[in-house]
Amino acid sequence: MHFLAPWAFFFAAVLPVVVLFYLLKRRRVVRLISSTVLWQKFIADTQASAPFQKLRHNWLLILQLLLLLLAILALSRPYFFGRTSGGKLQVVILDASASMQSTDVAPSRFEYARGEALKLVDAMHDDDQMVLLQAGSNTEVKQSATSGKSALRRAIQGSAAVDTPTRLQEALKLAETLIQNNPTAEIHLFSDGAIPSLDEFENSGLPLVYHQVGVRSENLGITSLDVRPNPENPAQRAIFASVSNYSTNAHEAQLELRQDGELIEVKVLKMRPRESSPQVFIASQDTDAVLSVHLTGQDDLSVDNQASVVSVLPRPIKVLLLSQGNQLLSKALRVAPNVTLSEASIVPETDEKFDLVVLDNMTPLNMPSGNLLAIHVVQPNWFESVGTLESPPIVDWKSSHPLLRFVNFDNVQIAECLLVKTPTWAASIVDSPQTGLILAGELGRQRIVWIGFDPLQSTWPLRISFPIFIANAIDWLNPASINASQLSIQAGTPFRLALTEQVTEASIRMPGGAVRKLEVNSDKGEIVFGDTAKNGTYHLFGGTNEVIFCVNLLDERESDTTPKPEIKFGEYAKADSTTLRRANLEFWRWFAAACLAVLMLEWWYYHRRTV
Amino acid sequence: MANPLLTSDLLRRLEQFQLLAQRRAKSSTRGERRSRARGQSVEFADYRNYTVGDDFRYLDWNLYGRLEKLFLKLYEEERELPVTIFLDASESMTFGEPRKFDFARQIAAAVGYVGLCGFDRVSVISFPDLPEEAALRNSLRLVRGRKSALTFLQSLSQITAKGASALNESLRRGALTARTAGVAVVLSDFLDPDGYEGGLTALVSRGFQVNAIQILAAEEVNPTSFGDLRLIDSETGALQEVTFGRHRIANYRQTVNNYCQRLREFCRSRGVHYLNALSNSPLEQILLRQLREAEVWG
Repeated sequence: MHFLAPWAFFFAAVLPVVVLFYLLKRRRVVRLISSTVLWQKFIADTQASAPFQKLRHNWLLILQLLLLLLAILALSRPYFFGRTSGGKLQVVILDASASMQSTDVAPSRFEYARGEALKLVDAMHDDDQMVLLQAGSNTEVKQSATSGKSALRRAIQGSAAVDTPTRLQEALKLAETLIQNNPTAEIHLFSDGAIPSLDEFENSGLPLVYHQVGVRSENLGITSLDVRPNPENPAQRAIFASVSNYSTNAHEAQLELRQDGELIEVKVLKMRPRESSPQVFIASQDTDAVLSVHLTGQDDLSVDNQASVVSVLPRPIKVLLLSQGNQLLSKALRVAPNVTLSEASIVPETDEKFDLVVLDNMTPLNMPSGNLLAIHVVQPNWFESVGTLESPPIVDWKSSHPLLRFVNFDNVQIAECLLVKTPTWAASIVDSPQTGLILAGELGRQRIVWIGFDPLQSTWPLRISFPIFIANAIDWLNPASINASQLSIQAGTPFRLALTEQVTEASIRMPGGAVRKLEVNSDKGEIVFGDTAKNGTYHLFGGTNEVIFCVNLLDERESDTTPKPEIKFGEYAKADSTTLRRANLEFWRWFAAACLAVLMLEWWYYHRRTV
Repeated sequence: MANPLLTSDLLRRLEQFQLLAQRRAKSSTRGERRSRARGQSVEFADYRNYTVGDDFRYLDWNLYGRLEKLFLKLYEEERELPVTIFLDASESMTFGEPRKFDFARQIAAAVGYVGLCGFDRVSVISFPDLPEEAALRNSLRLVRGRKSALTFLQSLSQITAKGASALNESLRRGALTARTAGVAVVLSDFLDPDGYEGGLTALVSRGFQVNAIQILAAEEVNPTSFGDLRLIDSETGALQEVTFGRHRIANYRQTVNNYCQRLREFCRSRGVHYLNALSNSPLEQILLRQLREAEVWG
């Protein structure tokens, strides 16, 4: 048996006080009687004149001493070790992601987790150490290893949930580093299990104790939001929103669309359990605007009930095609919407700036500085070595990449292609076994799509996928659309804005109305703002420009607030939620209950004795 | 005959009793009790030889006719029986409802009345001595004859209880000062811190036929005060602290029983008639039944 509050034994000093009370004579009612002879025969009290009397066997005294002892024992908080192998170092990871704001456990999952973590702190031994990590979109060390309970309590009380998804890998990696070479250490994760895959920890055998938080899933959430020109009427804007019901009950809710805060349209949704419903709004728009959707109705998690997007009106794209003549490519470029195509065989000596340049089988000496669609171009700066390969089969393509949206490479044969090693700045999106056939990436701040074969030496231009790919490429390479996509970011992701003019300082108005000053390093040519943990609309003022960007959760994993009873590390390893807390098994309550029982017994005995 | 102690009806019924004396009267005064002394009465006792100067009237002429010797017929002398009533008039006797002292006076009155009716010499010795009542108390000494009964009862009803009793001392002194021993009736609660043994033994040793009647108040047997008490002895002023609860009443009663039993045993061992009664007991039952059963009178 051990004691969490051994100082309570100082209260034992009151035991002699009780005895003293018994040594002191009590105040009595005076009665005149005929004779005390019979009473003398009956009682054993003495008539000593001293203030103290001889201590005699007295059940009341024994009961009161027992009462005090029990109370002192309860105050000293005795405990047994619940488990024999206790870690001396405990790494506590508090999941501070958006889903932890769910209110299914009052007041919220995060508050509950904090309370549990505080209990863990209370249960710490004097020589135990604890590290507190807060895992949101990034991992924050709230308290480095310490035995100081007050510092740990302060750190726990100072942590707060954010609107971002969880990135637990980072926290676990840090925790793994912290517990290295410490076989008794433990990692305590307080989470609801709404976390991304942890495959990389499959074989690391982390001593993870998973404390599951949350009891139910009662949540409707907006899981995606996008705005595009209406395909049927390019003058209008189509807003695509996806609403999911993650609860086990059917729910009715209203989905509101607002443009710059003004209500445009309301849709009534009837959602079956675990159903996901895509919703499309069509809206006319004259200027750039912030479109937001809002889900009304009661659920456990409110942070995913609204999302905003900055809708930028499309502008004509100036495209330069450098080619020796490629009708199919030229035609494909022209059919793409909003394209102003200029064709040349050499790099023109004009000041005119193009949004993107298409290099078809040409390698100009001075590479254009804008975004590039390079077809069958050998640029030595891009690749380590370049060879050729005949009849490469297409074995795989990343259909999830924006460039390959609705693009299919079935029945595409290629006569010959360049054999390159995929550089670090790019990723291969269409593969043959030996080489990447189409690479896409960003070199500096220049986006490049590189096609490693001449389409004319393949059957691809004859397929419907070719013009779609060209249209996708123009969209992906268009600086305006790049900027537009950068104006809607997920919570926790840094906001980056390329500067078009020299700016030394900027300020940001946060969703709550607070204004933050930013110092801008003009040499880098961009503004980076990392404090995007809060959902909402941010206003950036830099020089003469005002840029609005939106931060949303839009994460299915976070919106699905179903508590996960286990955390999987890959396919085979997992950590079950535990009710076996590392907390020491205190039993002061038993002593307190016994104390109460003895108190009642003493009361009864006293009254039985005197009444 | 109206008096505050006994009703006339009760007095009339008491007249049928006579105090029982196991020993013959030793008094020197003539009375109606048989004695060892020879004198004038109707009860033949013995013969003795005639000596010169004897009264011829007592010669048995029939015997002279047969034996030609003079014998004198002797008759038993009837003497009075001294009845001494020791009445505890201490402060402790003033407790109880009715007061123990009142009850004791009633018994004393009854015993005295029975004695007076039987031509016995009745003395009431109330203790402790109270100088202001000296005359009153002296009038209760050596009362004789039925016609004195009224005065006797009235005097008895006027004495008061006060002060601390010294039971042993009073009984011892009574035993010593009595000219002749007779019947002694001790009326007390026997709750004297110094005990009762010495006094009773002195009476018995003096030749008294002792009847001890212990009178207790109901509250002394069944206390009604509970809690943390500081008890003050009414006579000695001694303090006694006690914590008392209802659950201990049985133990207390046992203590009282033990005390009474010890007194009873003491009395039995010395040929003393013992009787105890509560002050709220029916008087008639005590007088007409229990005292008779205790062979105080018959």
